[in-house]
Amino acid sequence: MNVNPPETDDELFVRLRGGEEAAFVALYRKRQGAIYRFALHMSGLANVAEDVTQEVFLALLQDRCGYDPERGTLSGYLYGIARKLLLRQMERGRVDVPLESDSEDAALPQLAVDDNALEDLTHREGIEALHRAIRTLPRRYREVVVLCDLEEVDYADAANVLGCPIGTVRSRLHRARALLLDKLNQERQIRPPVSALKVIRCLT
Amino acid sequence: MNCREFRESIAELGVNADLLRHSSECAECAPLLERYRSLEAGLGALAAELRHIEAPEHVELGLVAAFRSQSRRARGADRHKWDRHKWWIPALSWATAAGVLIVAAMLLMHPHRPLPAHRSAPGSVEMAAVTDSTDVYAADEDDGFIPLPNARRLDPNEDVNVVRVEVPRSAMLSVGLAVSADRVSELVEADVVLGADGLARAIRFVDEPIL
Repeated sequence: MNVNPPETDDELFVRLRGGEEAAFVALYRKRQGAIYRFALHMSGLANVAEDVTQEVFLALLQDRCGYDPERGTLSGYLYGIARKLLLRQMERGRVDVPLESDSEDAALPQLAVDDNALEDLTHREGIEALHRAIRTLPRRYREVVVLCDLEEVDYADAANVLGCPIGTVRSRLHRARALLLDKLNQERQIRPPVSALKVIRCLT
Repeated sequence: MNCREFRESIAELGVNADLLRHSSECAECAPLLERYRSLEAGLGALAAELRHIEAPEHVELGLVAAFRSQSRRARGADRHKWDRHKWWIPALSWATAAGVLIVAAMLLMHPHRPLPAHRSAPGSVEMAAVTDSTDVYAADEDDGFIPLPNARRLDPNEDVNVVRVEVPRSAMLSVGLAVSADRVSELVEADVVLGADGLARAIRFVDEPIL
């Protein structure tokens, strides 16, 4: 039995430009989740994420859609549009995320190498703590974590999306992870894990 | 690899042999490696947990509606473009209809005062008396006159007038002559035979070969 390999984004895009609705739907279903999650992580608002997702795919329908396969992947192009839309939303103040002004040379947080190892972050509590920590990252660090760590976009594509060299993506990711560790460590000191709490008295 | 290099490369390059070797030899860096491993595992778990999050269905419905709307507009634009290339069809129809009306108006509405015909010079009127042309316009094709459909035959001694007019080439269709489709709106000169009652009886197209 022959099984046809799934169509690539570019193949779907060509069919979409030819007016095939099925190709548009296939491309949307293939990529909408990542775009929606990216917008949701960056804005923190479901309605903004919906709007951004819709706008991104509407842009694909435009006659002057600027996607060029020579310059990057379609996925990267979609992320790029989403990012621009989000930045616009932030400038308008619709998204409650501060436009931080920290420079690339900002000092790294002190790595708490003498702390005990973190609680297992793969447990429910650890995952939630990590999610909270990501949400509080400055935008430029959050976007590399979301792209590279959560959505598994490769560094080259991420660089294309962010409009910066790959080296900048690497360094931002480095700082983002250091910040995450720092935030997790701070949270652990403020809110000890449930397992560390000592039962004093049982009320029932 | 020293501790500074270890810290610089741990997040960028992931865990590799050099990092492992250094962490096994350095008591200070070993916990840091564990922390990064834990962070990576946590990020992987978080990514897996969030993977199911997708845009609501109504977003897709709206986009599909937009796609269909755009496709309809595109098809409409194409049809409009095609129609623009076919502009001559309605123009031809209207020209033909107008020509027929003009001929009818000129020949039938003013039967007693036929308008003089123009040749090349405007205002030059040419009228000629044709005498004793018994039944000549019934079937005589020597002079090129063609009897008009439904026109009464000339009486043997009836005085007739011949006037020269300009008519649309489409008028040739009404007497059964073939006309090239791309030339129907052109004007051609024709001699029209008018009976004593002023009604047109026959027509001859000047310098027009019969197709």
